[in-house]
Amino acid sequence: MTRRRTPSVLAIAMIAISALSACGSGGGSSGTGKTLHVLVSANTIYPEQQRAWFTDVSARFKRETGATLTFETFATPNDELTKIQTSVLSGQGPDVYSLGTTFTPTAYATGAFLVLGRADWDTIGGRDKFLPATLGISGPDRDHEVGVPFTTRPFVMAYNKDLLAAAGIDKPADSWDGLLAQAKRVTTGGTYGLAVGYGDSFDPWKFVWAMSLQAGNPLVDKGRARLDDATTMKAYQTYLGWIATDHVVDPAAVGWKNAQALAAFGAGKAAFVPMVSATSKVSLDKSAVAGRYGYTIMPTIPPGATALPAGGVGAASILSGDNLVVARYTRNKDLALALIKMLTSQDLQENYYRTFGEMPTNAQAAASLRGDPALAAMVESASRSVATPFTGAWSQIQLALVNVVVQSVPSVSTGRVDSAALRSLLGQAQSSAQAALDKAK
Amino acid sequence: MQRQRPLWMLVPGGVLAALLIVVPLAVAVQISLLDLDQYSFRQWLGAPFVGVRNYHEALTRSPLAHSILVSTGYAATVTVVTLPLGVAAALATHNRFAGRAVVRSAFLIPFVLPSFVVGTLWRIILQPAGVANRVLDPLGVPTGLWLNGPRSFWALVIVQAWAAWPLVYLLTLAGLQTLDRDLHEAAALDGAGWWAKLRYVIFPCLRGPVSLAMLISFLHDINNFALPFVLFGVPSPHDVEVLPVLTYIESFQNFRFGLSAAMAVLSVALIAVPIAVYLRAVKLDVGEEARTT
Repeated sequence: MTRRRTPSVLAIAMIAISALSACGSGGGSSGTGKTLHVLVSANTIYPEQQRAWFTDVSARFKRETGATLTFETFATPNDELTKIQTSVLSGQGPDVYSLGTTFTPTAYATGAFLVLGRADWDTIGGRDKFLPATLGISGPDRDHEVGVPFTTRPFVMAYNKDLLAAAGIDKPADSWDGLLAQAKRVTTGGTYGLAVGYGDSFDPWKFVWAMSLQAGNPLVDKGRARLDDATTMKAYQTYLGWIATDHVVDPAAVGWKNAQALAAFGAGKAAFVPMVSATSKVSLDKSAVAGRYGYTIMPTIPPGATALPAGGVGAASILSGDNLVVARYTRNKDLALALIKMLTSQDLQENYYRTFGEMPTNAQAAASLRGDPALAAMVESASRSVATPFTGAWSQIQLALVNVVVQSVPSVSTGRVDSAALRSLLGQAQSSAQAALDKAK
Repeated sequence: MQRQRPLWMLVPGGVLAALLIVVPLAVAVQISLLDLDQYSFRQWLGAPFVGVRNYHEALTRSPLAHSILVSTGYAATVTVVTLPLGVAAALATHNRFAGRAVVRSAFLIPFVLPSFVVGTLWRIILQPAGVANRVLDPLGVPTGLWLNGPRSFWALVIVQAWAAWPLVYLLTLAGLQTLDRDLHEAAALDGAGWWAKLRYVIFPCLRGPVSLAMLISFLHDINNFALPFVLFGVPSPHDVEVLPVLTYIESFQNFRFGLSAAMAVLSVALIAVPIAVYLRAVKLDVGEEARTT
């Protein structure tokens, strides 16, 4: 333990020194001659707009601080992790990173990012500037926050208005059981009630997490994993049952990624596609269902219930989006904070939404969008989003949750949800999740 | 004699070998002895030393043994499947015929395609509602799930065999080209038929290149990460939980860098076995003369 403490003391000393030197520099043009490096996720839907945005933001940053801003992109979270690893080991690399919300706990666990003090928050513009819900996954508690909310991508459900009207359904259900009943009514011939990507590497855990939490099980409770709980079992049975025994999902969906589920919905072959974000609008507006679909929040009443049970949390979505973090090794902390202040300002956030369709985290920017009927579901989902457990073990838990679905697919494709096999898989998931939590520091 | 050899000329090669092979291997071995994870990688040299605990965990409490079984089973199957295909293709294109160059080039297409592309193409073909099932269904072949479940093992074998047989073909063809024309004539003069010629003249001469092809193919299959990763995604379905993907998951999804390094070191030991057998069998290091004398 003592061996580990020495470098962290050194790191704190270095931060203190850099903070002191930052105090001395002051002023708007303190960045002249300096360069700030930023790593963000490559936007595959709007690559050209993203390049233009980089240019605009860099120009504005130069005007405001005198410093040069350079952007670098990564394609996958693994690319980003590799970049973080090499940067952290060598002590040089991007000054500011944009991280996915569910990856933020892992990044926090590395200890490689700046914990934001009160003064830092003030420099950025204060915590009050943000939608309160978006701050839910910035750190394990208020005193140890590393992430500043940059964008929010709440998950919602798209529905086909024509198919629902034809089946005599006036509005989408607010419970999972109700949704299943509606899906059954819509399923006929080649049209299915639901489009779900069972072969996706991420989506399945989000369903299981939401259903479990709604039933009162947050999956991680005070350092204990609760993946072998009856609520989680019920969540898996429901999720897998849709395709295996309820037959409301195209059997081919056992191999689908989220994009294929969206494509099936876009082709008018499914009435609902749950777990989509505002970015789905881009492809749906070009699809066969353009103008004939709507968004609504996903059910918030757990399977087997008609009302939220005691202890249940009516989560509409995981708290999804991107956080900005500052590397500990940066020598440009003041510039990094100045950039974050700029990126989370009202006008830039509104502009970001108009360009990329990603929802703002800035409270004023969010308020100005509230009137847009097309966004009503996203705004509601954002306010009812709940953060996933903040633990460095979350990536492992996520993987364990998805693994249960992957290993269940063979039996699901034969039309069975094998409870005994599911229980055994959940037992394995529970022990690997608990092992990961036991190592968490 | 040996003392007069200009051994200093080996220095550039030695330095390169040290930088590219010895140092990374040494680092891997060192990491495998540490409890290196997301909490400690920032100061990885300070990560707790755990001795052989990672090896113990890899061998007793991880899917490593299962992965070794899957990897070696699939690599051996692919090697056995590709051998006759490659040799037959080489024999068929050895003699001149109109359009030979085109056929030879076409044979190499699967080999030159990157694994990532092969994986993506076959992933589309093998989808539940994909081309494979649409073609097989009218033929009465049972269709179903190819990218998960017991059949996924055979999907991996088929796709890898499709991509790997040209290597056997290429090396066999190279071996055929080196055969002395006189040998063919002598066999013809002795009245040997095509089978006798093949069995007693050509095959014995091909033993070297074909064993090399088998070895390279086997090692390539065992080490292939991109194909199973793209074809099946992660987490891997149980039947195709191959060694490189398992090592990757432990490192980059579970952040157990120490455990993953232990698995990597064990897989180096595993692939050293066929290499040692091959080196002994062909005596690569002493040259052709040593074998005949």
